[in-house]
Amino acid sequence: MSERQHHEELLKEINVHKAILYKICNVYCKNESDREDLAQEIVYQLLRSYQNFTPQYKFSTWMYRVALNVAISFYRKTRTAGSVIRLMEITTEVEDKGDNTVELEKNINRLQQFITELKELDKALMILYLEEKNYKEISEILGITETNVATRISRVKEKLKQRFLTTNN
Amino acid sequence: MEDCTLKNIWHAQDEKLDRSLKINLLILESIQTQKAKSKLGSLATFKTWAVILGILFVLFCGLLLYGNQLKNIFFTVSIAMIMLFSIYAVVVYIKHIVLLKQLDYSAPITYTQKKLDGLQASTISSTGILMLQLPFHSTWFWSWQMINGNGTKFWLIAVPATIAFAIIGIWLYKNISEKNMHKKWIRRLFNAGPEYKNVVQARKFLTELEEFKKD
Repeated sequence: MSERQHHEELLKEINVHKAILYKICNVYCKNESDREDLAQEIVYQLLRSYQNFTPQYKFSTWMYRVALNVAISFYRKTRTAGSVIRLMEITTEVEDKGDNTVELEKNINRLQQFITELKELDKALMILYLEEKNYKEISEILGITETNVATRISRVKEKLKQRFLTTNN
Repeated sequence: MEDCTLKNIWHAQDEKLDRSLKINLLILESIQTQKAKSKLGSLATFKTWAVILGILFVLFCGLLLYGNQLKNIFFTVSIAMIMLFSIYAVVVYIKHIVLLKQLDYSAPITYTQKKLDGLQASTISSTGILMLQLPFHSTWFWSWQMINGNGTKFWLIAVPATIAFAIIGIWLYKNISEKNMHKKWIRRLFNAGPEYKNVVQARKFLTELEEFKKD
């Protein structure tokens, strides 16, 4: 298969799994321009690593590894101290909608913000958990044991629930 | 709050995220046509230029040594030492470039991030070692004539300057370490170079990584 065909095949796969990229970029970057930069970097590294892809793992597992690795490295390279996602920045469309939608959007924004406040590896862990990955797959992506995955997930989940409770009260 | 509620909220954002499609398609196009450049690759480019400059500097030192033909022992020893330190820096940077080129982003996250941390730790420790060459920058112009002819000036100015450089060099060697990267003076010292800007961040991350694997 030629390099061009490889690229096209990969781009098709990326398009199928694009939601993964968007969610990772949203959690790891505070503003739109950083998100665009990160998305570009992830796709660049996916293209670069695609030759090493083996069907031993699912495409989505492989893509999560690359995307999260790049997101964490990108964060370490570009982040300025003390920066966190600003709630107003991602709630601009809330105003004119029905009560349920408003509440849902508020919750989405809260959840995103709470995940953004987590430590880098916990962010990755939570994204994978919320994306319905099983413990085995999460352990393969992160490189830690399944027991470790289970322990940390329960801790982080508890932390998130507490944050929701404190915000709602 | 139930676990499934968290998941429901998370999945509800899919529609919202789909609005980014246009932007990302443009990104895909630009990458396909190779207009895009990698930000993470910029460190390797920086180090490649540093290696080229380093090699040129080593060659320049070699030329100086060849030209001097051991006529002045102080000059020869000083330049030879500076040259040795430069060779060391070039070798370390080449090692870093190889590591960066081999860095596998599709490997498990804790594995890849640990490698990146190792690279940053090596950058810091090699910088400390390079500081030991400082005194040799103040001895290359010494000569027997200078020692014998300007005895007082030599002992009052040149020697104390070299001792000061040696003390500063050793002090920097001992203090430039990952554990001191949070200190103000060291941050100021390193903020000039692009590769050091996030070392403190990296150190914090390494602690996080260790904790993450420990649980």
